[in-house]
Amino acid sequence: MTMRHSSRAKIGPPKTLPLTENPLARRYLLVALQIGITVALLAAWEIGARTGLVNRFLFASPSMVWDVLVKRSVSGELFEDIWTTSAETLTGYAVGAIGGSAIGLGLWYSRFLSDLSAPFIAAIGSIPVLAIAPMTIIWFGTGMMAKVMIVAFSCVVVSLTTSYKGAMRTDGDLINLMRSFGASRSAIFFKLVVPASMPWVISGLKLNVGFALVGAIVGEYISSQAGVGHMILLGSSNFSMNIVLAGVAVVMVMMLVFNFLVGLIEKSILSWERK
Amino acid sequence: MPHALEAMSITKSYMTSDGPMTVLRNMSFHAAKDEFVAFVGPSGCGKSTLFNIITGLLGPDAGSIVVDGRETTGMVSAKIGYVLQKDLLFPWRTVVDNIILGLEVKGASKREARAKASRLLHDYKMSGYENKLPGELSGGMRQRVALMRTMITDPQIIMIDESYKALDYPLKIELEGELLDHVKGSGKTVIFITHDIEEAVTLADRVYVMKAHPGEIVEEIRIDLGTESHSIPERRMSPRFNEYYDRIWQRIGAPRTVNA
Ligand SMILES: Nc1ncnc2c1ncn2[C@@H]1O[C@H](COP(=O)(O)OP(=O)(O)O)[C@@H](O)[C@H]1O
Ligand SMILES: [Mg+2]
Repeated sequence: MTMRHSSRAKIGPPKTLPLTENPLARRYLLVALQIGITVALLAAWEIGARTGLVNRFLFASPSMVWDVLVKRSVSGELFEDIWTTSAETLTGYAVGAIGGSAIGLGLWYSRFLSDLSAPFIAAIGSIPVLAIAPMTIIWFGTGMMAKVMIVAFSCVVVSLTTSYKGAMRTDGDLINLMRSFGASRSAIFFKLVVPASMPWVISGLKLNVGFALVGAIVGEYISSQAGVGHMILLGSSNFSMNIVLAGVAVVMVMMLVFNFLVGLIEKSILSWERK
Repeated sequence: MPHALEAMSITKSYMTSDGPMTVLRNMSFHAAKDEFVAFVGPSGCGKSTLFNIITGLLGPDAGSIVVDGRETTGMVSAKIGYVLQKDLLFPWRTVVDNIILGLEVKGASKREARAKASRLLHDYKMSGYENKLPGELSGGMRQRVALMRTMITDPQIIMIDESYKALDYPLKIELEGELLDHVKGSGKTVIFITHDIEEAVTLADRVYVMKAHPGEIVEEIRIDLGTESHSIPERRMSPRFNEYYDRIWQRIGAPRTVNA
């Protein structure tokens, strides 16, 4: 059906495409609609809150949330919280995601060790962060260290397993080629296995951005003096939905920024993939 | 003088779910310096297995491989270089860095290796492509780079496993001609493994015809097309081409027709 349709379109006189089929117009249309929908929802929410149709105690309003963000920006409180959560997230991420990737790649060296550790890795991977978070507070105190550990724990298994999978998928013919050059096992590892696994490692790193931020916020929920999770927790314990929602908005922005940063890393490491 | 390569009674079987399966049985053959030797046989007759045994990537169950008078059975020898059907370039390395891979692994200075690679690129008419990535090259260029990567390590024996199989016909002819230009008369030995009778007859000085289940040599044919030309079309024009082609075809093609 589609085939016949398109062949007829080629023969017949040129017709202007409908808006939704012209790729550029389609993109602008989509963005315009998305912005429009967002603005409409926020406006409806705001108007609803002002007219009393929406319960301001339960749902606050966009302007109330905005006020919180402005007030806390001016006082500097907001940046302190963002900084605290970012530091926990990034440090824990560096330890867990990067450390996990290194271990996962390293397991390529020893089939025996990787087979031996497989069930233990699976066991650790099956523990929800929430279940061990309280324990880390006991072990590492209520400061930054506990959160870093929770974040690292949330990232390590995913990175370990994806990068191990990547390493094990290295093309056997490429390994043979290296062997035919007389390459040592470590030359094969560093010159072939590591770069060949990068798409996998990066996919693990990308998945972990979300896990890391969730880990930091969970850690702050359990015990904290600062951080965006702390802000949300305090807000909700005072029934201040405006503070809670301001915190949620901040988390969304942080997520966007972290994803963007990892995207930059991906672009620079995997530049060859697009060729 | 010893042969460049000598194989004695190579036997190899693989373990399968139905027990051991003999893939190669009692294969003995040799190749001289400056000689092009082809192994021709149907798919599954064990050509790639043989290739891996000659290169030392795989050990045979019995028999031995002797390179230049020294036994190398089951060992990777620096005197053997190989080119596979897939070009197997590292996509994250530039053309130059792909070419120097073997030298780099052997601990050569990168700067000198790169200079050598640039000269090689010039010889293969690919100057200017030094810093391109494999993904930016055509299939033929990638195959050329793969050949350069092998040639730069200066092996005495070059093993080629169906390298030109995936390429379109004119490109295949062109690359086969280039192989003759670059290697014929250099004193190196070329062993190529193919199911393409035409390719074997045009390029080889000697052909070993193989049959399958188990893989065995059924005939050895000395090829003399009566021309020194490196042009593939010219070599195919040789009046003896068809005669050789038919003789191999009878050996490989005929039994299959009976089975079908
Ligand atoms: N690692 C292996 N284990 C078991 N059987 C194998 C293995 N490699 C190849 N074979 C079998 O051995 C036979 C020969 O394979 P191969 O050497 O690749 O032949 P060719 O290159 O001539 O097609 C085939 O039947 C193939 O299925
Ligand atoms: Mg094969």
